Amino acid sequence: MLEDEQVALFLAARLIARGNKGTLLLTIMILAMVFVNLIFLPSIIAGVVVLFNQQTIDYSFGNLIVEPKEGELRIAAPVQLVQKINGIPGVVASTPRYTTGGTVVYRGESTSPLVTAIDPAREQEVLRIHTKVRSGDYLSPADTGEILIGETLAGTSRSGGDSTPTLGGVAVGRIVDLTLPNGVTRQFRVKGILKAGTSSVDNAVFITRRDAASMLGEADPANAILVRTKTTGNDDAMRLVLMQYGVQEKIWTWEDKSADFLESIVGSFGIINAISTGVSLVIAVVVIFIVIFIGIVYRRKQIGILRAIGIGRSIIIKSYLFQALFICTCGTLAGGALLLAVLQFLAGNPIVFPGGPVAPFLEPRLVVQSVASLYAASLIAGYLPSWLTTREEILDAIRG
Amino acid sequence: MIRGEHLTKVYGVGSVEVRALDGVDIEIAKGEFVGVMGASGSGKSTLLHMLGLLDRPTDGALAIDGVDVTRLSEGERELFRLQRLGYVFQDYALVPELTAQENVYLPSKVRGMTAKECTVACRGILDQVGLKDRAGFLPGELSGGEQQRVAIARALVNRPALLLADEPCANLDSRNSVLILDLIRKLNRELRQTVVMVSHEDWHRRYFDRVLFLRDGRIVEDEYGGDAPGTA
Repeated sequence: MLEDEQVALFLAARLIARGNKGTLLLTIMILAMVFVNLIFLPSIIAGVVVLFNQQTIDYSFGNLIVEPKEGELRIAAPVQLVQKINGIPGVVASTPRYTTGGTVVYRGESTSPLVTAIDPAREQEVLRIHTKVRSGDYLSPADTGEILIGETLAGTSRSGGDSTPTLGGVAVGRIVDLTLPNGVTRQFRVKGILKAGTSSVDNAVFITRRDAASMLGEADPANAILVRTKTTGNDDAMRLVLMQYGVQEKIWTWEDKSADFLESIVGSFGIINAISTGVSLVIAVVVIFIVIFIGIVYRRKQIGILRAIGIGRSIIIKSYLFQALFICTCGTLAGGALLLAVLQFLAGNPIVFPGGPVAPFLEPRLVVQSVASLYAASLIAGYLPSWLTTREEILDAIRG
Repeated sequence: MIRGEHLTKVYGVGSVEVRALDGVDIEIAKGEFVGVMGASGSGKSTLLHMLGLLDRPTDGALAIDGVDVTRLSEGERELFRLQRLGYVFQDYALVPELTAQENVYLPSKVRGMTAKECTVACRGILDQVGLKDRAGFLPGELSGGEQQRVAIARALVNRPALLLADEPCANLDSRNSVLILDLIRKLNRELRQTVVMVSHEDWHRRYFDRVLFLRDGRIVEDEYGGDAPGTA
């Protein structure tokens, strides 16, 4: 190591080791808090995005959505296509669906939700709606004349302020009238009330495809096949695999389908995140700057004397840079420990959002970015005041 | 050793001009122990600051150890202070977080000595000022006299051409003042160390080879003692 750096390190080490421990500890704690602040909110936001994504996959689309070929309204021979898709490597399961509009009437209350006709057994292998039955039971493959209603639509939710029409509190066992767009009306018994925290379930109704076929007068109606793959994240690649295996229908990924919604959410959160990170960084720079600046002002006379006896400016500046780096390293480590403790706590006591419990999602990129930002802030905050003070005339510094 | 011609320092305060030094001519030989005395505001500290390269003259020429110091850049002045000057301040000015030995070690380390050379030099000079056994103490654990002796050791560790002392006994009682003056005198004699010391205590005169009296920024009296080395 060079002579100047050796002397600067020597000075910094002694000033830290024998300086005011209370001030040092306080500064490190402030840095630790800033570090936590830099990471915590973005990781919560990332956790919310992860939750939304997972909900979209689990309750709305699966990983891939197969839709009718261009110019067609139905998927031809959906059961055979499902069997074909299920045989493709990387696919866990797939399920046919028929979704249409409809009108549900109960005791004079009328709503027009999306009506989804499903194969209950296959559906359970692709989506997790069956785990969200708040009361009653899920549909069985042999069911006819049974309907599942989303909680919001049923009107049992006390969310309040929602002007969406509901069925005014329909409960399990009640009979509702369902009319499909072809004008056919049939009575259904409410078998279960669903509550998944996502509007695609809570504002919808579900019947079996068998009932839909009967009402529509079609043998095997399906206008979508939802596909669950083994891993999430390689959805585009899996789409190509399906195409390579001869699936000629249109294939979408869950991200394609929810792009607008997700982009809007991620975009909004991204703005909040950027503001929060920016404010945290400014706070970090200001705090480190103030603490080091106060320390330097306190030692202004001493700096003047060091310069008077021939200790170079660069040595003095570097000694404060070393101190800033030490404080930053300790602050980052302490912040990391604090963050781990908070994450551990939240793992046991998750924050419950309307969509479900949110676990903070720690992105390595964010951690690296935060550590780098904190070090950059520390270097600036260590350099600037020491540079300014050592620029001062020696006699002015000595006189204080 | 030191040759100053027409040294002038003018401070401007608004439209008021203050002449802290008003055309001082000065010549000090190697090995002299020179006292600079005068009333408050007479310019003695300004002269010392100029000799210590802590301040620049408004006008005039100054050569120390054969170097025209008025032409040096800020970096060269920094190096000159480190290598050729030693400075003792009124209030000791030690780094409180460094032990006596570390305070002395610092300028020698900056000068580029190895750790071993620094340690030998530090121990030697601390022995000379009588603080060999107090080397590991922090300034706060030392008396005022001991702290000033550490400051003297720090100033001398690099064997400077010129030792400058700015009222080094101002914060000390009589007993400690005598100890410090005896020490400076001893070092001056034994090492042929050139010393310029500012003082306002009349009884200090007996230690000086020569006394410069300043009034209103001018040397009004230049009094040699009987055994001044420069006049021998």
